Amino acid sequence: MDKRHVHETNPKRTFVTVIIFVVVIVVGLLTIRSPKLKYELSPSQTVELVTSEEHVMYPYELEDIFSGAIDTVILIDIRNKFEFGRGHIDGAENISAITLLSQDNIKRLKQSMDNGMTIVIYGNNQLEANGPWMVFRQLGFDNVKVLLGGYNFYKEWKDMLGDTYYEDSYLLGAPRYDYAEVASSTAIVQGEDDPESKKPVTVKRKKKSSVAEGGC
Amino acid sequence: MGPLIPQGLIAGGWDFVIALLLGIAFGFILEASGFSSSRNIAGVFYGYNFVVLRVFFTAVLVCMVGLMYFHYMGWIDYNLIYVLPTFPQPMILGAVIMGFGFISAGFCPGTSYTAMAIGKIDGFVFTAGLFLGIFIFSEAFPLFEDFYYKGNMGNITIGEFLGISNQLVTFIFVIVALVAFYVTWLIEKRVRKTITPFKFE
Amino acid sequence: MNKNYIILAILFIILAGGYFLLPERENIKQMKPEDLMRDIVQTSRYVTTDQVAEMIIEGDPTLELIDVRNEYDYFEYSLPNAINIPMDSILVEEYQDYLGIEDMNVVFFSNDDILADQVWVIAKRMGYGSLYVMEGGLNCWISTIIKPEAPQETASKEAIELYDFRMGASMYFTGSDISTPSEEGAKPVTVKRKKKGSVAEGGC
Repeated sequence: MDKRHVHETNPKRTFVTVIIFVVVIVVGLLTIRSPKLKYELSPSQTVELVTSEEHVMYPYELEDIFSGAIDTVILIDIRNKFEFGRGHIDGAENISAITLLSQDNIKRLKQSMDNGMTIVIYGNNQLEANGPWMVFRQLGFDNVKVLLGGYNFYKEWKDMLGDTYYEDSYLLGAPRYDYAEVASSTAIVQGEDDPESKKPVTVKRKKKSSVAEGGC
Repeated sequence: MGPLIPQGLIAGGWDFVIALLLGIAFGFILEASGFSSSRNIAGVFYGYNFVVLRVFFTAVLVCMVGLMYFHYMGWIDYNLIYVLPTFPQPMILGAVIMGFGFISAGFCPGTSYTAMAIGKIDGFVFTAGLFLGIFIFSEAFPLFEDFYYKGNMGNITIGEFLGISNQLVTFIFVIVALVAFYVTWLIEKRVRKTITPFKFE
Repeated sequence: MNKNYIILAILFIILAGGYFLLPERENIKQMKPEDLMRDIVQTSRYVTTDQVAEMIIEGDPTLELIDVRNEYDYFEYSLPNAINIPMDSILVEEYQDYLGIEDMNVVFFSNDDILADQVWVIAKRMGYGSLYVMEGGLNCWISTIIKPEAPQETASKEAIELYDFRMGASMYFTGSDISTPSEEGAKPVTVKRKKKGSVAEGGC
C-alpha cells in the first residue's frame, strides 16, 4: 500500500499554484509604470548644483531684458493669478507653481530650451522660486534660472534697477549678525541696554533688507 | 505600497485580525500537508518522510522569490520588514532542545494544535506539556537570563552578515533547496525499500 | 521522479536568477517629481522662529534641529542641541540615520532660509518625511528671538504679547544657561536605525 502523501503522487496542484505565482510576478513586471517625468540629476549631482551657486539672475540684468539687449529670456511668474494681476514684472508670463509641471508646460519649456532660450522664474521672494527651480534643474532643464530678490525686491527698485548693481540686500545666505558676539553675549541681552554698540550694524542692514526679506 | 501597517496604510489595530486570518491559513496548510500526523513529522529524523523539509523549504523559496520581485516592483519595502535579532549560542541550544522534543513527541508547537483540532489525544497531551514547559521556563527565567541574551548580533540578515545582496542569497538558497529536495528524495527511496510500512489493524 | 518536479525546479532557478537580468530601477523610495512639486508649493513646511523657540523652551522631544551650514559656522553659533549636517554632506551615509526617525520632526535651518530649503528639497526627494524649514533662518532668529524689536505703543495686543514672548525667549536663550553646541551634538549621537521596527515576534 502506498502511504505517501497526495502531493507526492500528484504534484499537479503544486504545479498549478506555482504557475499562478509566476503569472502574478510576470504581470507585475509588465505593468510597472514608467514615470512621466524622470530625474536627470542624481541626488548627489543636485547637491553639487546648489552648492555651485550658479544659475541665478541678478535684478540689474532685468534692465538688459527691458531694453532688448537680451531677447532670449522668458520670464515666468510662478505666483498665482491674483498676485500676478496685482502687479508683475513687465513681459512676464504667469504660470502658477502648481501647473508648472503640467504636460503642456513641460513640452513648451522643453521646446524653448531647444531654441536656446533661458527661462527665469520668480516668486515674491527667492525662497518661493527656489523649490520649483530645483525641481526643474533636477528634471534636466539646464536653462532655468531663478531671479534673486524676487518680485518684492523688483517692486521696490523697479525705477532704478541699474542701481541695484551696488546692492546686496537681495543676496541671501550670509550671516547678518556677528554670531560670535551673540554666542558670547550672555549678560547684554537686549538692544536697549547698549544701543550704541549695535545700532550701526543692525539699523543699516534693516533699512536695506526690509523689502527683500519680507515677512520672515 | 507595503508593508501595510508600518507604511500606515491600515491602522495598527488590524494586526490581530490579520494574524487570525494568517493563523487559519497556516493551520489549514499544516493539516493539508499531513503535519497533524506525528508519523510524517518524525519521518524526517528516520529518513522515510521528508515532507516537513519539503513544505517548509518550498514556503521559504516562494516567500524569498516573491519578496524579491515585490520589492523590485515597489509593492513592498524590504527595509521595513521586521527581522528577528540573532543570538547564535542560545539559538543553537534552543534548536537542539526543540529538535529533541520534535523527535520524541512527534510534533512541533504549531502542528500539535492541528493534531488537537482533528481530535488526536497525543496532540492534547503535547499541548498540555507545552504550556507546562512555558510556565516552568517563565518561572525559572532569571536563572538563565544571561545566556538567553548572549551574543546579540542585532537584526541582521544573512546577506548583511556575509556582505552580499539579498538577491544573491535568494539565488543561492534556491539552489541549496533544490539540491536538498533531490538528495532527500534519494534517501527516502532507499530507506523506504528497507522498512515495512506499519499496518493499522 | 515526476516530470513536473523537474519543470518546477527549473522554473524556480529561472525566477531566482532572472532577477539579475532585470534593468536597474530608480530608487523607489524617491519621490516622484510631480509629488515633489506639489509639496513644494505648500508652505506648511515653514516653521517660524517663534514656533522653534517655543518648542525648544518646552523641551519638545520630537524636535530635531539640523544646522545645514558648514562646520565652522556651526561651531561659532548655532541653536541649542542642533546637529550639524553641512549641505554638501546631506547624502553621506552616516548622516542618514538622523533623518526619517519615527515621530521626529526635523527642522532645517541656515543663515537664511534658501540653503535650508534646498536641503529640504533634496531630503524630500530622497523620500524622508516630517521635514521642516525654519523661516528666515538664523538671521531671523536673532532679529526676532535674541534681539526682539519692541512694538509701537499703539501696536495690537497680539503684537505686544508676541514681544513679551520674545523677550522671555531672549532671556532664556541668552541667559546664564547658554548651551554651546560644541559640547553636545558635535559628536554624532548614535541613533537607532529605524529600519526594522519591532513588530510582535512570532515563530512556528
